[in-house]
Amino acid sequence: MARLHHQLLLFVLALSSPAPLLLPARADASSFPVNVWPKPVSMSWAEPHAAVPVSPSFHILVVSRPENPYLTSAADRYTRLLLQERYRPIVRPAVNLTATTTLEKLVVAVSEPGAPLQHGVDESYTLEIPLTGGAATLRAATAWGAMRGMETFSQLAWRGMSAVAVVAAGVRVEDRPLYPHRGLMLDTGRTFFPVGDILRTVDAMAGNKMNVFHWHITDSQSFPIELPSEPELAAKGAYGEDMRYTVEDVTRVVEFAMSRGVRVVPEIDSPGRPLILCFDGYSIALHLIRPNAMYLHGPAGAYPDAVTCAGKFWLPDGDWNNRLAAEPGAGQLNPLSPKTYKIISNVINDLTSLFPDNLYHAGADEVAPGCWETDPSIKANLANGGTLSQLLERYVRATHPMVTSKNRTAVYWEDVLLDAAVNVSASAIPPATTILQTWNNGSNNTKLVVRAGYRAIVSSASFYYLDCGHGDFLGNDSVYDDPNSDFDARGGSWCGPYKTWQRVYDYDIAYGLTEEEATLVIGGEVAMWTEQVDAGVLDGRVWPRAAAMAEALWSGNRDAAGRKRYAEATDRLFDWRQRMVGRGVRAEPIQPLWCRTRPGMCNAVQ
Amino acid sequence: MAAAPYLLPILLLLLRPAATLTGHAPPPSHPPPPPPPPPTQKIRVWPKPASISWPSSVYAPLSPSFSIRASPSHPSLRHAIAFYTRLIKSERHLPLVPPSNYTLSLVPIRLLALSVSDLHIPLGPGVDESYTLSVAANSPSADISAATPWGAIRALETFSQLALAGVGPAAGGQPMSFPILLPSVPNLANAGAYSPAMRYTVEDVRRIVRYAEAFGIRVIPEVDMPGHTGSWAGAYPEIVTCAGKFWAPAGKPALASEPCTGQLNPLNPKTYRVVQDVLRDLAAAFPDPYLHAGADEVNTACWEDDPVVRRFLKDGGTHDRLLELFVNATRPFLVHELNRTSVYWEDVLLGPKVSVRHEVLPRDTTVLQTWNNGADNTKRLVSAGYRVVVSSASYYYLDCGHGGWLGNDSRYDKQEKEQEGTPLFNDPGGTGGSWCAPFKTWQRIYDYDILHGLTEDEATLVLGGEVALWSEQSDAAVLDGRLWPRASAAAETLWSGNKGASGRKRYANATGRLNEWRYRMVGRGIRAEPLQPLWCPLHPRMCNLAQ
Repeated sequence: MARLHHQLLLFVLALSSPAPLLLPARADASSFPVNVWPKPVSMSWAEPHAAVPVSPSFHILVVSRPENPYLTSAADRYTRLLLQERYRPIVRPAVNLTATTTLEKLVVAVSEPGAPLQHGVDESYTLEIPLTGGAATLRAATAWGAMRGMETFSQLAWRGMSAVAVVAAGVRVEDRPLYPHRGLMLDTGRTFFPVGDILRTVDAMAGNKMNVFHWHITDSQSFPIELPSEPELAAKGAYGEDMRYTVEDVTRVVEFAMSRGVRVVPEIDSPGRPLILCFDGYSIALHLIRPNAMYLHGPAGAYPDAVTCAGKFWLPDGDWNNRLAAEPGAGQLNPLSPKTYKIISNVINDLTSLFPDNLYHAGADEVAPGCWETDPSIKANLANGGTLSQLLERYVRATHPMVTSKNRTAVYWEDVLLDAAVNVSASAIPPATTILQTWNNGSNNTKLVVRAGYRAIVSSASFYYLDCGHGDFLGNDSVYDDPNSDFDARGGSWCGPYKTWQRVYDYDIAYGLTEEEATLVIGGEVAMWTEQVDAGVLDGRVWPRAAAMAEALWSGNRDAAGRKRYAEATDRLFDWRQRMVGRGVRAEPIQPLWCRTRPGMCNAVQ
Repeated sequence: MAAAPYLLPILLLLLRPAATLTGHAPPPSHPPPPPPPPPTQKIRVWPKPASISWPSSVYAPLSPSFSIRASPSHPSLRHAIAFYTRLIKSERHLPLVPPSNYTLSLVPIRLLALSVSDLHIPLGPGVDESYTLSVAANSPSADISAATPWGAIRALETFSQLALAGVGPAAGGQPMSFPILLPSVPNLANAGAYSPAMRYTVEDVRRIVRYAEAFGIRVIPEVDMPGHTGSWAGAYPEIVTCAGKFWAPAGKPALASEPCTGQLNPLNPKTYRVVQDVLRDLAAAFPDPYLHAGADEVNTACWEDDPVVRRFLKDGGTHDRLLELFVNATRPFLVHELNRTSVYWEDVLLGPKVSVRHEVLPRDTTVLQTWNNGADNTKRLVSAGYRVVVSSASYYYLDCGHGGWLGNDSRYDKQEKEQEGTPLFNDPGGTGGSWCAPFKTWQRIYDYDILHGLTEDEATLVLGGEVALWSEQSDAAVLDGRLWPRASAAAETLWSGNKGASGRKRYANATGRLNEWRYRMVGRGIRAEPLQPLWCPLHPRMCNLAQ
């Protein structure tokens, strides 16, 4: 589907791009006085660096027809941002301000304004801001590329000493992403996030040129989405009446994201995480729904008979091998229950009509054998020579076509193929209609997935899991009550230590792959599992670490010489985080302010 | 959230006196008498009172005309009464699990009456904070009695946490900057603050001290010295050694424990003129009897960067002698002229490279704050006869486990699993860049016995503890979540202990209560981080590791 650039390929592209007209070539050189995050593939800024004031009547003008309403709303939004943003760089940019002229407008020309937002869509753009002000120009193949260009444009503006915004002049940017899938996964099943927090997150993603919001809607703990065909799922499975996403909420999120060039991929995890909450008194879990996978993970509240082991203590005898779930909140959909498939079919119907994206994530991670084994019908099946893998395969073979019949590509967590105990044969998940998302064993599992011929989305926990290293949420755990358990222990987190922005930034998601294999890696997603996160702390947990991935997947993590550029990225990320805070995102700081004003002084190595 | 007409039922309960925490007394080592069998409902107050009784599940409505009365008046108490009256009347905390099967008293609570035996006790170390709160059934008034205004303020907090909303059947001064503007040495902040807008003025300080006092909170200022003083060099370069250098020069000893070098020069007489100005101004701004003078992480290489120091060392002087010179030239002023107890980090006595002799630090006017080696260093300090504040990094440092913040650090750039036998860094068990990893969870903090390994006598020297938030990677945007509710975990341990009546650690039991308290704090505007998914408090014990 998507043609993927290998990093080396990109490197070659960057070198071979035509020298910018009239401007001394400084593409891919070190930082400019004002920078764009993620760093464009190619940017030049005439020296001596100059800036022009933004006219009070500045506006962004889309000249392409037919009109694309999403592009029009983006143009209006960026016009407002240009005039209103109060970002003042910490280190005053050393530029000459051209006082005799102003920038009046940004003219946007798009060659295919009707191209829909979908996987692999062309996001390239070219932006030129003349030294003399007047009109800047932005050219792109699609509306979505134009949005990326407007974001770049907005980041080239700042407030100087005067009250008006100024924008870098004599600039030319030629830009395109390295990977077509640059995502963030947010888990709203363990913790409910109000729509406003989701919108703010999507907005911040667009600022980072990220384009996929992977909405892990449900999990064992709660089922917060109201589905018209299966209203009982949310009625019994949401944390509370005010903790549900209505159809209007979902539409709002999808439209909001669309107007920012962000796709929304739904996941209702199943069968490992029941469709329905393991709810008191009901104890029925449909383990089959993860909106982006085939399984429904979710509370069993509505359909006890379709869910096995719901309402039980997750680790009955303290032995991991006998677990009923990977963590508290047990329940899996029962592949032998016909009702399971009726429900899943309804769920898939509803979700595919709510979410237009051509990817549908069906989950299928962490199937716990013990949970299925509690069910009498499954026990009988196993006693007659059946295997757990056959059960899963039965489920997948029945549900995968439901997804593809809706003209969707099914996404599953890698477990469906790679789990040691419960997995399916490759024939159940044809590579043409299946994408696998990796999370274990770093690049090793990516290699396994692509070698089997599947396209891969990389979310390796040891690089991209934003929840890691924060202890654990289990109660009654005596491990902390040991005076000697500190430096030699993990502090409770299974995937500790904490992944710093550098760790995220430095990850080469195509590491160890042949050039051909690398073309199957469509991109990556940082993942925010929310056992210990809610709206109060969401921003600081996601940002600016997600921004680190955003740059690595947009223009790579290496400089023109092929060396990792994490040192050079530090000050740029510091500034971008500062700008994000000004835009209302409570991103965490990466260093004390002192460091930013003394370049290099806070390095590990000088 | 709740739109319905607002009943504010109050738990009816009788609280016996809380533990009296006197100056040097740790939480009582003898368990209190066993409480009566608990009613089915839980009273959730954080930190858990030393003793609480609630014979049956009875709530009383809070009258719309509810008021708090105390006579005679006291400035801080007056402020606290106004604050808590407003809070109690406006807070709408919905318990995560709403109470059921309770009796509602017919008589609304109209009045909370405070009686304080001595209004003139100032807020200071060892002040009596005990109180008794009783809310009798079928009486329109509740009573608080306390020995001091400060105990009464604690009681008001407890009372506020007893109020539940809408019960019904519904579902549920470091090196990097010098930001304080001191009248005698304004240039320290003028040249050392990040920006003019990032300075605390004398007026700001007064506001903070007053605000804190109204909640019975003392404010202890610390100006770290002689190390961690790079920020002084903007105004007084001549008194600071090694300022403005790269902190970790290749192939040489580091000049500081982290970026931003600079240390006060003990051999320059001007150093002491500036330090005295600083201390005098601090003492004027902060009334507390304690003043923290830092003295952590003194770096020998930084001093040696100065030619005068090098000559001193060549002539037989030692680094220890340098630090003693500094302490002897500053501490007596602080103690005798300014009438303060000096507080230092443990390094001043236990520093691996530089330390002073005991004689230099008289025990009656010195308190030491410990941070390395857990309970071992506490033991070393108290067995040397010093009073101690415990901040062991492996329990109480809230910044730990959050990776590193240095730039140009290639250690993260490892694509493969770390080989067995090599030191772990990025893989599970590695530090991920944080010197004091892993992250200290609330349980780790809660479980810390700050008296671990001490004799009963030694234990009397432990004044208490402090959680510490070093802010290399925190600012206002993320402050609340980094502090809370983990600081709450220490708060309960230091108030009523971390063990139940049977003497067993009560972390399992505390989980539900801390969840509740965290949600209440969020309602009060503190962006505390969640402990668990909401599913867990809604399903008691189902999220335990061991059922």
